[in-house]
Amino acid sequence: MKKVIEVKNLTKKYKELKAVNGLSFDVYENEILGLLGPNGSGKSTTINCLLSLLNFDEGKIEILGKEMTPDLYEIKRKIGVVFQEVAVFDELTVYENIDYFCGLYIENKEKRKKYVKDALQLVKLEEFLNFKPKQLSGGLLRRLNIACGIAHKPEIIFLDEPTVAVDPQSRNNILDGIKKLRKDGATIIYTTHYMEEVELICDRIIILDKGKVIAEGTKEELKELTGIEEKVTIEINDLNESHIEEIYKLPNVKTVEYEGEKLVITYGKGKNNFSKLLDYLKKEEIYYNKIYSERPTLNDVFLELTGKELRD
Amino acid sequence: MFWHNLKYNLMFLFKNKNLIFWTFAFPIIMATLFNLAFSDIEKNEQLNKFNIAIVDNTEYQNDEVLKTTFQKLEKDIFDIEYTNIEKAKELLEEKEIVGYLEKKENNINININKNGIEETIFKYVVDEIMIINSVSKDLINDEIASNNQINYEEIYQRVLNKINEEIKLNDTSPSNLSYTMIEYYTLIAMTCLYGGIIGMTSTNNMLANMSKKGSRVAVSPIKKSKLLLSSTIASYIVEIIGVALLFLYTIFVIGVDYGDKIFPVILIALIGSLAGLTFGIAIATLIKKNETTKVGIIISITMICSFLSGMMGITMKYIVDKNFRILNLINPTSMITDGLYSLYYYPTMERYWFNIISLLIFSTVMILVSLVELRRQKYDSI
Repeated sequence: MKKVIEVKNLTKKYKELKAVNGLSFDVYENEILGLLGPNGSGKSTTINCLLSLLNFDEGKIEILGKEMTPDLYEIKRKIGVVFQEVAVFDELTVYENIDYFCGLYIENKEKRKKYVKDALQLVKLEEFLNFKPKQLSGGLLRRLNIACGIAHKPEIIFLDEPTVAVDPQSRNNILDGIKKLRKDGATIIYTTHYMEEVELICDRIIILDKGKVIAEGTKEELKELTGIEEKVTIEINDLNESHIEEIYKLPNVKTVEYEGEKLVITYGKGKNNFSKLLDYLKKEEIYYNKIYSERPTLNDVFLELTGKELRD
Repeated sequence: MFWHNLKYNLMFLFKNKNLIFWTFAFPIIMATLFNLAFSDIEKNEQLNKFNIAIVDNTEYQNDEVLKTTFQKLEKDIFDIEYTNIEKAKELLEEKEIVGYLEKKENNINININKNGIEETIFKYVVDEIMIINSVSKDLINDEIASNNQINYEEIYQRVLNKINEEIKLNDTSPSNLSYTMIEYYTLIAMTCLYGGIIGMTSTNNMLANMSKKGSRVAVSPIKKSKLLLSSTIASYIVEIIGVALLFLYTIFVIGVDYGDKIFPVILIALIGSLAGLTFGIAIATLIKKNETTKVGIIISITMICSFLSGMMGITMKYIVDKNFRILNLINPTSMITDGLYSLYYYPTMERYWFNIISLLIFSTVMILVSLVELRRQKYDSI
């Protein structure tokens, strides 16, 4: 696979605080790379360094084989950015905003007209052409923000938390749009603190914490790191200490937690975990309301690696 | 891409209601207020001729200098009654005259009843005459010292010439430039400098540390020089429309008569606008603070420059000129006001063109500094 972005030992300090601490990673052509981490983990700072907006203290950034600088226009032409904050002009309409930002990359008027139309279709804003940003809902505004960043059909797209504070319908639209962009050939760097989104669309994931890479791989590879096969949750009204101890002794059980009438059991590798648990509950005549099994999430990975929740 | 950016910059600026108010409406409101406030003052301050008396005795009749001077002044300032001392006293008592003059034993005495503007003018004129008399005596003494043969005719002519020269000088200096006109010039200079706010607003749109819109523009592949040129031209178009509206309003609505100096006044307003605009651009690029702080800095510097250039009292301009001339040489407000006043105070255009060239140099330096700063712009934090 062709390497599109290469980051080596990137360090960015704000006075004494290291916002990015010796970060190294590569991005490959036509992949969706997820940068996952809690707020303040250094995701946006990394993106801003990659875009040559921010000075950094150490390290090297190469995009398409060239060291990134503010006046590397041939490379900038191939990049699209969707910032976390909505970056549009309140004075302009939806169409004018997309046309303006697209026009910074595409000179040909006819071509630009088509590109703007494609962008409007992608984010499903065709009905709002003449609306001013203040007339749009939060979700529609986010979609406009995305359209402004990708209308010029860039090869590399940076999406910095594009779904923050949007409704489920808009979120689905946005995620579908991102998948379509990849299908059309773009390489995407996607930062978020929503693990569900990363699991849904990313080919590869880098988990960041305190400016450092703490894990990297596909979602399956990352989940392997936890050593958890599955997680079973049961709602039980009455459970005593001896029951908990007995359950802990069942095969493959790694952890048992009982809090607020909710019993959560994590299992390591092994088979028939669920049926063995049901047999035990039946034998002990323990009655339960709901029972369900889940695969481990990226939050479990984060918890396993850092000892804290992703959204802490 | 240049035209694309120019077109959209014009759209942002024309749709920015705050900016449009300060650029277009505010100068017009100020002009209207000036007109309401100062037109009456101007009318009231026009000097009417007032009555004095001169004791027409032999000593007065023999003093050619005194006689010639008052004949000159009779046309514009005084209504003079030539009479005897008794009648003069009577007229003063009855307040028919402001005062009377009597030449007695080679002294010029004036008698007035009270202190007032007219009395002060009368006293001032007589003091001036006494100075001229003294000059005359000096000239005669010089002539005596250098030449045994005194040509009284020639000395007399020289003294008269000197008096005529003095009176002519007073007539030509600021008489065409009324107090109200100075205020309109101040307003023109202020409008030019408000261009700084337009320049700053437009430039902020391409600065990543000012907004995410700026970040988006900053990551685009357009050269900073192109961006700066198109946004500067767009801002300049908006600015000169503001200045043009001010001129049209003052000429056709208020009825200000710029006389035969209208074109030089417009030219310096156009160049002054460019200076104001580029100053705002430089502040936007050099100062890494938020928009409110930048506006505060522009207004503060503008006010300081205006103060030093004499907008709030012409004396300050002379103090700065005398003691810190360099300050006025680099002060764009001073260049604008000095250029405008020079049209009326100086017989040639040299000083006017000096100020025009100074403003162009100032604008060029500002734009070059901005460009250098923009090109290398990467931020420590955004």
